[in-house]
Amino acid sequence: MADENEKFLSRREFIGAIMAAGGSVAVALALSQIAPLEDLIRDELALELPEIEREKESRKHGDSKHRWGMLIDLRKCIGCQYCVYACQAVNDVPDAMRWNVYKPETTANGDPFHMTRPCLHCQDAPCVSVCPVGATFVRDDGLVVMDYDKCIGCRYCQVACPYGARSFNWEKRSESSGYQPEWGNAEVEWRPRGVAEKCTFCIHRIDRGLAQGLTPGVDRPATPACVNICPVEARLFGDLKNPESRIAKAIRELPTFRLREELGTEPNVYYVPVEGMAV
Amino acid sequence: MTTMITTFRRQAETHPFLAGWLAFIGVLLGIGVISGAYVFWYGLEVTNLTNNVPWGLWITVDLSAIALGAGAFSLSTIAYILQVKEFEKIARIAVFVGFVGYTSAMLALLMDIGRPDRFWHPIVFWNIHSVLWEITMCVIFYSTVLVFELAPSVLESKIVTERLGFKRGPALAHLMHRFTPFVSIVGLGLSLLHQSSLGATYGVLVARPIWFKPSLPVMFILSAVAAGGTVTLAVTIFYENMVHARQIARRLRNQVAMFAGLMTLAYLYLKLWDFLATSYYSHLPSRVADQNLLESVTPYGVSFWWIEIIVGALVPAIILLSPRLRRQDSLIILAGLLAIVGVVANRWNITLSGLIVPMDWSPGTAELFPVQKYSPALSEWGVAIGVVGYALLMVTLGLRYLPLFPKGDHVEHH
Repeated sequence: MADENEKFLSRREFIGAIMAAGGSVAVALALSQIAPLEDLIRDELALELPEIEREKESRKHGDSKHRWGMLIDLRKCIGCQYCVYACQAVNDVPDAMRWNVYKPETTANGDPFHMTRPCLHCQDAPCVSVCPVGATFVRDDGLVVMDYDKCIGCRYCQVACPYGARSFNWEKRSESSGYQPEWGNAEVEWRPRGVAEKCTFCIHRIDRGLAQGLTPGVDRPATPACVNICPVEARLFGDLKNPESRIAKAIRELPTFRLREELGTEPNVYYVPVEGMAV
Repeated sequence: MTTMITTFRRQAETHPFLAGWLAFIGVLLGIGVISGAYVFWYGLEVTNLTNNVPWGLWITVDLSAIALGAGAFSLSTIAYILQVKEFEKIARIAVFVGFVGYTSAMLALLMDIGRPDRFWHPIVFWNIHSVLWEITMCVIFYSTVLVFELAPSVLESKIVTERLGFKRGPALAHLMHRFTPFVSIVGLGLSLLHQSSLGATYGVLVARPIWFKPSLPVMFILSAVAAGGTVTLAVTIFYENMVHARQIARRLRNQVAMFAGLMTLAYLYLKLWDFLATSYYSHLPSRVADQNLLESVTPYGVSFWWIEIIVGALVPAIILLSPRLRRQDSLIILAGLLAIVGVVANRWNITLSGLIVPMDWSPGTAELFPVQKYSPALSEWGVAIGVVGYALLMVTLGLRYLPLFPKGDHVEHH
């Protein structure tokens, strides 16, 4: 044992080792300056995609020119729950799995107010980071969406979401939500048994609307059902990146807050507080 | 295969106890198969899981089975990496117990996910930011390691060499055995990663203050190493009593008991500090509120944790560390059973305590989010019973047919 540990490097070996290490770094640095190699390294780092691939990706991931958000004015909300029903009709969501929920609330003073909550489409979404297969992801336009074909149904996203905004398909769908046609017509397919689902900000309307040259939040066919149906305009929808959009202006002008902001999830849904609310 | 079944039947006929035992396992498996088919057919609707409590009994079974398999990597590490030669005598049974644990866990997981047909998705679709992805990959790779480590026992067994006539089995086993140190290092790395990440599954969730703490991953791996070692020793002693012959030397028995006992103590120490740091010396408002809720309206308060700690950890630690107590076979087996109780209770408590406390995301003051309730449905119990039946069957077959205790020259009979 002892003799094994007693052998140190000789001075020659030691200097040799240092020089070999230094030499390698120098060679690597020199190589990286040669033009063709430099390009190669840059390409590798940027993960440049060919044109067609890039287009396909952008369709899947949305357009980073926009960031879709919602403003819910709690002062205006009258608690009619039309937004809940319209969502259930258009996205065909049964009562037990509501994407958009309503709660009768009270302020610290005991004054009643009406609380509604869609998915908040967090920019740093806990549900997205925990999904083992990347079946849910944040698009470049801020939407947090589901890929029902990838989801394995582990329900970690439900456990991780700080807002209880996710539902699971415990059983095979056999009937519509029951809110059609009074509150709208179903515009999306039933989700299969065994996968998670959530509010999409009516992504199908946004994507189709943009393709037709419409502006989500301004043109009704490109705007989420819950926003369109609100009789008192308590919900505003639009592009947070466009300073001229109604929602961006409203957020600049009104006092707003976001839910459980301290968790750092960066939601894209803003609320205007009611009077007497400690925010 | 048929000859094997015939022999088994003959043995069962001549040993009434074995016959009864196998019948018992058969009943468990029958319940499991019926429940499993029921769940597959009707979907997770038939469970008592909800959108608020999406994880329950099966996750507990899954986490516990993996934890109890941790003896495999820890004892292999001592035997093949730290090269404490004596431990090689217990490494095989440890690997076998690990194999049973991991396959049981996979069985439970397969039942638990909503789309069992997509179990392979994590291998193809990567989300490297997900602890659950990391766990899945590690568990898959580590199960491969376990198969490799277990293979020599199978190749050397009489079934392979005599019944199947594969004469070169032992030679192949010897060849594979030469890779054991390397394989053990891979296994150690993978185990250190996923055994702790299972705790991180809960520990990284900012949304739930009861869970969100860095101690969970460490407590998970420590409790797993402690309980895994204890269970491996208990199975060994149980087998010795079954065949009325000592398989491991008394010195090794003492060393393994010391190792498992000290690990249990280390776990208890960490658990104490976790309690002090999160509930005594600090008062994070959100966590205090949640803990008060647990205390007042659920059975998951601190008082309940004491049962888990005293029965499931302290008593086994005392048995394992006291030279007088650990000499008695019955007490070692008791320690093994209590360690299982401790791990299962712990994994259940952690899962449920975090989930039944409601998350209040609303800015108002109304009481909108009731404390959740969960008790497993009959279908969930049925599947869990089936998984236990599978584990018992595997242990029975393994002890009976595999040379899990290398016939060394130093086995002393005391």
